[in-house]
Amino acid sequence: MSDQSNTPVPDPPDAEAQTRIGVDSWVAESEDRQARKRGFFGPAARGWDASPDPVKLFLFIAVAGTIPFWMNEGDLFVYGLFTVLYATLGLGLNVVVGFAGLLDLGYVAYFGIGAYGYALVSSDHYGIHWPTLASLPAVMVFTGLIGLGLGLTSRRLVGDYFAIVTLFFLQAFLVFTNTANPVIHGIGLTGGSSGIGNLDPLEFFGYSLTSVKQQYYFFLLVLVLATAGLYFANRSRTGRAWRALREDPLAAEVMSIPVNRLKRLAIVMGAALAGLCGAIFAAIQTAVTSSNFTLNVLIFIFAVVILGGIGSIAGPILGAIVINVSFQFLQPQNDHPSIKRWLFYGAIVLFIALMKPWYRAVVVLVGTVAFGLAVHAIVSATAAASWTAGTVTDAGSGSAGKAIADWVVIPNQTLHGGFATYAYIGLVVLVCVVRSVTGWWRTVVLIPTLYMAAVVWENVLAPNPAVTAEILFGVLLIVIMTVRPQGLIGTARVEII
Amino acid sequence: MHPLLFSVVDNIRSLGWGGAFQLLRNGLVLGSLYALIALGYTMIYGILKLLNFAHGDVYMVGAFLGYGILTRLNGPLNLAIGIVPAIALMFAVAMAGSGVLGVAIERFAYRPLRNAPRIAPLITAIGVSFFLENSVQLLTNGFQYTYDPFELGKTGNEELGPLYHTVFSVAGNPVTTVQLLVVGSALFLMTALVLLVSRTRFGKSMRATAYDREAASMMGIDTDRVIAMTFFIASMLAGAAGVMFGLYLGVTYYFMGFLAGLKAFTAAVIGGIGSIPGAMLGGLIIGLVESFAIGYVGGQWSDIVIFGLFILFMLFRPRGLLGSRAIQKV
Amino acid sequence: MLKKIGLVAVLAALISVVVATTAWGSAKAPRAAAAATASVKCGKRVSIGVAYPATGGVAFLGALQFDWAKTALSRWNGSHKLKIKLVQGDTQLTTNAAANLAVAHSFASNGKVLAVTGPAGSQEVQDSAGVYKGAGLAPVSGSATRIFLTRSKPGNTRETAKGFFYRTVPNDGQQGDAVANYIHKNLNKKRIYIIDDEEAYSQGLADQVQQDLKNVGINASRNHVAQNVSDFSSLIAAIPSNTQLVYIPWQQAAEAQTFASQLHANGKNAIVMGSDGIDAPGQFKTPGSYVSGFPVDATNPVYKSFTKAHKGQPEAFGLPTYTSIWANATAIKMACKAGHGKTTRSAVRKDLLKVKLNASQSLLGFPVQFLNKNKSTFQGPGDMGGTADFAIYKISKNGTYTRVK
Repeated sequence: MSDQSNTPVPDPPDAEAQTRIGVDSWVAESEDRQARKRGFFGPAARGWDASPDPVKLFLFIAVAGTIPFWMNEGDLFVYGLFTVLYATLGLGLNVVVGFAGLLDLGYVAYFGIGAYGYALVSSDHYGIHWPTLASLPAVMVFTGLIGLGLGLTSRRLVGDYFAIVTLFFLQAFLVFTNTANPVIHGIGLTGGSSGIGNLDPLEFFGYSLTSVKQQYYFFLLVLVLATAGLYFANRSRTGRAWRALREDPLAAEVMSIPVNRLKRLAIVMGAALAGLCGAIFAAIQTAVTSSNFTLNVLIFIFAVVILGGIGSIAGPILGAIVINVSFQFLQPQNDHPSIKRWLFYGAIVLFIALMKPWYRAVVVLVGTVAFGLAVHAIVSATAAASWTAGTVTDAGSGSAGKAIADWVVIPNQTLHGGFATYAYIGLVVLVCVVRSVTGWWRTVVLIPTLYMAAVVWENVLAPNPAVTAEILFGVLLIVIMTVRPQGLIGTARVEII
Repeated sequence: MHPLLFSVVDNIRSLGWGGAFQLLRNGLVLGSLYALIALGYTMIYGILKLLNFAHGDVYMVGAFLGYGILTRLNGPLNLAIGIVPAIALMFAVAMAGSGVLGVAIERFAYRPLRNAPRIAPLITAIGVSFFLENSVQLLTNGFQYTYDPFELGKTGNEELGPLYHTVFSVAGNPVTTVQLLVVGSALFLMTALVLLVSRTRFGKSMRATAYDREAASMMGIDTDRVIAMTFFIASMLAGAAGVMFGLYLGVTYYFMGFLAGLKAFTAAVIGGIGSIPGAMLGGLIIGLVESFAIGYVGGQWSDIVIFGLFILFMLFRPRGLLGSRAIQKV
Repeated sequence: MLKKIGLVAVLAALISVVVATTAWGSAKAPRAAAAATASVKCGKRVSIGVAYPATGGVAFLGALQFDWAKTALSRWNGSHKLKIKLVQGDTQLTTNAAANLAVAHSFASNGKVLAVTGPAGSQEVQDSAGVYKGAGLAPVSGSATRIFLTRSKPGNTRETAKGFFYRTVPNDGQQGDAVANYIHKNLNKKRIYIIDDEEAYSQGLADQVQQDLKNVGINASRNHVAQNVSDFSSLIAAIPSNTQLVYIPWQQAAEAQTFASQLHANGKNAIVMGSDGIDAPGQFKTPGSYVSGFPVDATNPVYKSFTKAHKGQPEAFGLPTYTSIWANATAIKMACKAGHGKTTRSAVRKDLLKVKLNASQSLLGFPVQFLNKNKSTFQGPGDMGGTADFAIYKISKNGTYTRVK
């Protein structure tokens, strides 16, 4: 695209990312394939593309396997174990959504059924204690059967309707376990809102997995096996048939591909994998409660698959790493408030720095700083002192904290409670305005927008890190879909009319 | 299961006709609210084939806007202006505000994805819903606010405010002002919508765009504008429902949109998604089913009854009661 | 606007910062087994971890608890030389095992955390007990009220290890007893209807009250309603008209107010009685109702300034969190003094048993000292001893709470 710089017509802004209608996907990717990857990451990217797949897997195992040696137990639990969990769940969802093209919004119910299934056969709840070698496969089969049951409805239900039915299945599952809790053999089946506790840990041949490190390695093994299994499935006849089914179910049926059987197979495989994850997860937590299987978790898994790229195998793994690590890092218990602050400002500066041409970036940077200082000066001079009397959260009285307090308007929270609401709404409005205008107007409006972002961060977001993480999550989903719907590693899909 | 059936029969007998009337009355009121929200879902699906998960949260924002106006007017107990103009103002502001929000969501979140694969706008809708819920949680600290409908506009020593005055009774069971207000305004808005869609030129362009967007744009209809207006109307209805809910029950908090949205969504699908009379019918059905289920089956199982009924319904009549059969184009 | 390489570059940069920070933090933090006895300097970053639901369905309760915690901390830092910080941990819902464990592990691996306030729910306490014990921490909860957390009974073993859990709130047994006694002996009501909100806190209390009433020959009816439902009309239709008292041990005061108003608007004039979860004078104000709560001294200056900062709406559910922070801070101070500027987690944990707060320091209306053995019917090691008990308030015509017992 850069060699068209002497033509007067500018590039459409998101031309690369938008789906191109009527172009065959192989052709659409041909430009990517032919261009030698250049730039800083060029040699690494080319090496990666050229290496055979088992090497990539081996590299991954090598890196992932060394993590427990430099991470302590608490961080390993939060960053390592959860990432592997979400990666495996993402792989399973990928089979249903990516391979077979079915939008399954109740996927997390299988995860829950696997967990509760394990809880029922490995705890004091009913006094049943099956050995792990029996309970894990049993749970997988059971969950797969439930998936099959739901899949049998997919014959009648097309596309959106299947999505709706699965969503309701999830809600029914949640209500069943949390509220209905039918009394069987004397006690509530699912333990109601308290769930079932005191589960047996996983045990193989007398060897119990009780420490985080052991559990991590076991789960990593499961992930690797699942990856390998799906890789081979993808390359087989079944995989090709799935891809045909995903692209155009009607044409596939005409070509005598057994569409319904393949759909059911995908659902069962996805469900079984989710059930296995659920059982392992329950054993690790030694407890299971219905609030671990809500819509929030489903969205998390979807985000993992989508960010990574639907239909690719490495996609969910990459997506899980990026999303889980950032999400957990933003949680308040990971106590690095000053780093979060510098990440925020750093991200803004990086965003400015990536603007082209370079003088625009400079204008925006200088403009924002100047604008802020001006606003702060005006407010200090005209309004009451309480308007700038607030303190910067967790930056103390160091020079950084003072600099920020002199730049951003931080009013006294208790006296000006409404300020936060108006600033927040103002920021959202400004962002919308930036998106609507183009050219130099965009640069001009960007300056107060960036300043407002800093104001909102200091006043509202930084003091409430937990909710901020969730908000950023929602924004992430919106932005990915607009900027790059095929995810990081996925291939741009093409709608054939 | 046996004891469950026993208790259901027991409940039916002990509630009797009086109780049945109460359940019917409550179901109609609740059903009107669900119908208003369901209309929004159905209109947006009809015109964009998009399941707008964020619609329930627009309803929530409407309820908060109404609450904001209430506090500006000095709160539920010392209204600065009379109760009737206060309510009118709340409706006006909430409807306008939600409408604008809906248009903004369409413009910035959904429009760039018009030609993307079906899953993209769905995920974006979920992202928007997440964003709205958590933003409101952030700004309100998760606090539950209340319209105080039982005290609203109270004068003198009466025990209940004018909203809860009994208008008439049926066999000793009162029907209050607010219940009539909710059902009445819902009926009014729905009639206005039906007239708009079926009698006006704009309604015709809406129906054309819903039927085939490309052909409609080729016939000279500005589809972008039509879609924006559809979102405006749909969100306006949701905002009105939000204020009505506040006036009826009072409680307003950041998560209220989720469950209400889910049930309204069920209603839209049962009635036949894409069909406006279907959404109204579906809303009433869901309201009545919920009311009777809570009354006869008991709080524990009522939600399961609703969801189970819905899944069965979807298995045997996926296009809904009044929906049209989905045609797969080759 | 961002090209492909730009996006990847930004992501790579962010991830590497996160990884680097974690690696550095991990390398410096003690291994789990050694955490309990690792020596920490009582300097600027000694922290108390606060585990509470910051997001999710009961976030408003968590926010109130955290507000009280912040109040306690600023008062402590303002009047003591030893400055302490708070580390927040979001346990999301009251029964989200994954988030709860994540918080527990994070606190365990954070070397600066010497004490923990929370978790909020009884189930969470049980689920994370193992992790906290392994890290040498004894959580002091301000709202986990299940009896079996501190006491074993025939058929139920004690759910936490002795010495590794404390609470600054009287348990379900004590509250249920107080309520049942009042209903039976003072109000003399016989036709009772109990409704729980399907959460663990509510079910525990409801079970206890129902059992206590049964023991004196009163058969109370029982029903459930989901926590965020606002339309109680169908539920109310099911309540018999001759019911004398409806007991609602809920957590959302606004819902309780709506329920009580709807109940009376439907012509059913039963007395409504609530638990400390709806002890909120600004929100639950139906005249003639009763509420059980802490015997707080309303003239206490801290209580008054908290009320003022919250627009005149005082709230008592989060009060024990204040007490918990104060107890933790006192223990840290004692341990630091004994260790001459350095201390360990196990020293702090042992010093919790020596903490003695008077009535105005604890803000609960009675002095606080933790028990080391069983006491009377419901109290065990970890519960508060002394005169810890619940008060009953009656709501008058203009919404004010008057203590009647």
